Amino acid sequence: MELAPLAPVIERIRDGRFQRSLALVTAGSSLVSGLEVAYEHYKGSYSNLIMYTPVLLSGAVTAASTSAIFSRRAAETWMRWTCAITLLDGVIGFGFHIRGICRKPGGWSIPITNLIMGPPVFAPLLFGTAAYLGFMASYLRREEDSRIAILQKKPARGWRREIHEGRFQKHLAAVAAIWTVLSGLEAWYSHYKSRFRIWAQWTPVLLTPIQFGACVAAIFSENAARKFLPATSTLAMIDGAVGFGYHVRGIARRPGGKKTWLYNILYGPPIFAPLLFAACGALGLLASVLRREKRG
Amino acid sequence: MKEPLFGAFRQARSDVHNLGPLQRIAKGTKQYRDDEEVDYVIVGLGSAGGVLLQRLAKAGFKVVGIEAGPFWDTELDWVSDEKGSHKLYWNDLRITGGTDPLSLGENNSGKGVGGGSVHWAAFAPRFHPSDFRVYTEDGVGADWPISYDELKPYYELLEREIPVAGPAYFPWGDPHGYPYGPHPLGAVGDVLVKGCTKLGIRVCAGGPVAILSGSHGNRPHCIYRGFCIQGCKVGAKASTLITHVPEAIRYGAEVRELSMVSRVSMRNRDRVNGVFYFDREGREHFQKAKAVIVSGYAIETPRLLLNSACPGHEHGLSNGSGTLGRYLMAQAGNVVLGRFADLIRMYKAPPAHALSEEFYETDPRRGFARGFAIQTVAPLPIAFAKQMMAAKGAWGWGMRRVLMDYNHWATLGVLGEILPWEDNRVEIANEKDQFGIPVAKVTFNLHENDKKMIAFGVKKVTEIMRAAGAEEVVQESRYAHLVGACRMGSDPRDSVVDKFGRTHEIANLFVCDGSILPTQGSANPGLTIQALAARTADYLISQGERIFTSDRRDMTTPPIRYSLAVEDSFTKGVPRFV
Amino acid sequence: MAEDQELLPVDPQSGKPIPRTKQPGYYPRYSTLSQKKFWDATTRKLIEERVANIPPIRFFTQAELPLITAVTSRVLPQDDRLAEYRIPIVPWIDHRLFENEIDGYRFEDMPDDREAYRLGLQAIEQTAHAMYAKLFVELEPLDQDAVLKTIHDGEKRAAHEIWSRMSVDRFWHLLVQDCVSAYYSHPWAWDEIGYGGPAYPRAYTRLENGLPEPWEVDEQRYEWQAPASSLSGAYDQQAGATDKPVHGQGGTH
Repeated sequence: MELAPLAPVIERIRDGRFQRSLALVTAGSSLVSGLEVAYEHYKGSYSNLIMYTPVLLSGAVTAASTSAIFSRRAAETWMRWTCAITLLDGVIGFGFHIRGICRKPGGWSIPITNLIMGPPVFAPLLFGTAAYLGFMASYLRREEDSRIAILQKKPARGWRREIHEGRFQKHLAAVAAIWTVLSGLEAWYSHYKSRFRIWAQWTPVLLTPIQFGACVAAIFSENAARKFLPATSTLAMIDGAVGFGYHVRGIARRPGGKKTWLYNILYGPPIFAPLLFAACGALGLLASVLRREKRG
Repeated sequence: MKEPLFGAFRQARSDVHNLGPLQRIAKGTKQYRDDEEVDYVIVGLGSAGGVLLQRLAKAGFKVVGIEAGPFWDTELDWVSDEKGSHKLYWNDLRITGGTDPLSLGENNSGKGVGGGSVHWAAFAPRFHPSDFRVYTEDGVGADWPISYDELKPYYELLEREIPVAGPAYFPWGDPHGYPYGPHPLGAVGDVLVKGCTKLGIRVCAGGPVAILSGSHGNRPHCIYRGFCIQGCKVGAKASTLITHVPEAIRYGAEVRELSMVSRVSMRNRDRVNGVFYFDREGREHFQKAKAVIVSGYAIETPRLLLNSACPGHEHGLSNGSGTLGRYLMAQAGNVVLGRFADLIRMYKAPPAHALSEEFYETDPRRGFARGFAIQTVAPLPIAFAKQMMAAKGAWGWGMRRVLMDYNHWATLGVLGEILPWEDNRVEIANEKDQFGIPVAKVTFNLHENDKKMIAFGVKKVTEIMRAAGAEEVVQESRYAHLVGACRMGSDPRDSVVDKFGRTHEIANLFVCDGSILPTQGSANPGLTIQALAARTADYLISQGERIFTSDRRDMTTPPIRYSLAVEDSFTKGVPRFV
Repeated sequence: MAEDQELLPVDPQSGKPIPRTKQPGYYPRYSTLSQKKFWDATTRKLIEERVANIPPIRFFTQAELPLITAVTSRVLPQDDRLAEYRIPIVPWIDHRLFENEIDGYRFEDMPDDREAYRLGLQAIEQTAHAMYAKLFVELEPLDQDAVLKTIHDGEKRAAHEIWSRMSVDRFWHLLVQDCVSAYYSHPWAWDEIGYGGPAYPRAYTRLENGLPEPWEVDEQRYEWQAPASSLSGAYDQQAGATDKPVHGQGGTH
């Protein structure tokens, strides 16, 4: 692929010198996930006080990662810790969503019905995407840092150092693989709910094993990481963008249309969900340009 | 899936009292002896009785709720079936007549703990401020002895307690938001939204309904099965059976089920001292009490007060004015049915989930006073067949054919304000029920204003149905809800109770239920009844012992006691901005 | 046999009778009962008993039984169903009357339900006699419908003494409502009309656009006409409906 104009960017990514950019991405995606969880939990009526935590934490992550764009110190303290707490919150939320399904009439005896109609089981984990990015960013070097990592103050050894140097391709490919499966499952059961009435509803379901396969292959083979992963990741991103368009159209076509737009956003196709799938592509793409871990 | 993962669903536990799939309480409740004088006896544990029981018990009073029907175990007694739910309704004999006789039973009367709130569709809008001064504004009906503002904090409180799901901004009446988020629409709601928006009529999707859109402690959220008026086994739809009665019992109240009160007993001309009732075996008992609250709804309350006639109260208790039993109201509940080319499947989603109050207020151009609301309804097959009998004259093969098209029909309801008229009333008939208690005779006549309103309402809803794309539209005339017949007012010459529900003639006899409403608006009365009950409870509690000892009437408005709200009312739900 | 064919609904294209089936309607092979393991135990037991245990006749006399059977099989005809898949109606009406289960009220211009049935059956017999000088059960199906149609229309062709004690419209409503309550409470009728049946603990996921759940089936429409031997295929408002509002007793809101 001819990526000459992007060469300096890629070089920075390969060196792990993109803390500020990733902090920016974190801020943006945290804002979007915060909005999404705010309205999704509104649908659930905030019937448990803990449902406010992801909303508040999203705000905190957005604020912290915004300040991290300007301050290394903020990146290595604030952003790191708010993101870590948010990731933990996602795991706790996952537990609560599982509990929510348990407590629905029929519980796990009727898993399909209750997965579809209960709290979206994987959503809290997917919500952690932004925090995950921020957490990673906190260990990166900044764009203005020198290429030669050795001159910088840096962690002595282990995974911190590898992230610091942009050597976490396998790790990110693994994360992207898991994220793809979760997001693909969500797409499957939500589209199953509306009975796959548009053929495009199948595309994320079909792309999921492909993207998952590419991510797994990337863990084991650098060649796959460099060649397949960018292609499948781009497909996933395009699909997410197209899906976003369809979801917007779906909302616009709901009864009442623009006159009941607020309600239609709430109960139409989830407007941000396709972007989440696109994010899996973005993760894959990022993984594809990183360097591989030294060990193994 | 051919069957549930772990095999067919098994019977729920029978060693506990199930109030929904998660909420369980111990079986049986504390028993007061008949000769033990309790503070309050509440006759009827429906929408009002359940709230009163909980409030008074939580405030520390000795209180017994006597209920004619059973104390339901929702898992073991209720079924997910239309015909099998017949027992939820008041099926004892009543006589109905007049020029426009009301259907009773299933249509508007519950029996058993929770009363009508067990089988209401759970639309829970507030009344509009104008409803409280109908006579002043329109020269018809009556004014209330209280204003909207006096009831507003109770509306807000009860909306949290039961809780009510709806939009963050409800534009009609006194605009406000709801503590629980709106529900997803079913296909019938889609029809209403489509039709209304096409005609430029504002419409509200997803509420306000007293159905959980998110779980609430040990009550799961709605599963959209459409059996609201057959009793919600899920426990998502609010009824005092699951919202207030469990807490009442926790605070020591007694629920005495299957006990039919036959008359209120007078200690002397001015005070009552208890009630006579028949237990399930038909044995008569007397429960001694310092004060009695009658919460039997618009037919049984006047029936009981009329049947309690005694020397000094020859025409029934607190009926010196002759008003008792008069000004009974039902709302026009015409159902407009539309057939669509596309499938609807209206048995899915709660029948109540979208409405418009655009035509609620008086518009002089329409040629009648007051107005109506438009709401989704969704009959199950038997009710639908009965509607088709009425609306199309269907029978035989025609009935079979139209029912084969059941999934193509959507139904919307008019909910219109019929004014209080003196000749619409409850009296005592010659017949007696299984206990030998004379039954009620209900007389109902439509008047000119009512007929004009109904005609206009049906026309408007038909337009909406057409605008939504219906190919064929028919309608059935019917009525919904029952209120009035013991109305409250400040003048003892034309009302039965004062603004706190105390009867004008007997200082320790109260009425608190739908029967005290002077007018009814075009809003479903359930929430208003519960709000009034919470207010009466606050009054009784702030009066304390004086209720039991003094004949003096203190008419100062009591402070609202947020501490008596059902536990957890304030830790759940969305903050209220309006 | 030819006579029997006249009882069947007709395919308007070919003009031929549509053969009897186990399950008429537009939802072939749909079965709510096949889903009973997804119902709660209390409901499952009730529905299973409804299908399996048909109550014995205890209210109607041996003399009345053929008449009420003939009447209900015109008010809610099931000639398109195979004999073993017809839904019992008379046993449920009988059960209700024997147990004296009422709906919570009686119209002031009506006797009690038991009396209403006894009188109503006599009135039908008298009308049949006045119109055809025969017993109702001996009439051709078309003539039976003609007799019932007079009651549907609120006409008092005969039995003036009875109709002076009882509203003809209200008797008709009582009869039709009891028939539809028996028929449409049966799972086979739910299959016929594509209704979901009991729904707890498992309920619905596809609320909008009339989409079927995974266990429901798509509609497959076919055209049919009511048998030539019937008068009930067309709709017309009851004559009484204009001056006396008619409403079913089912609650809605």
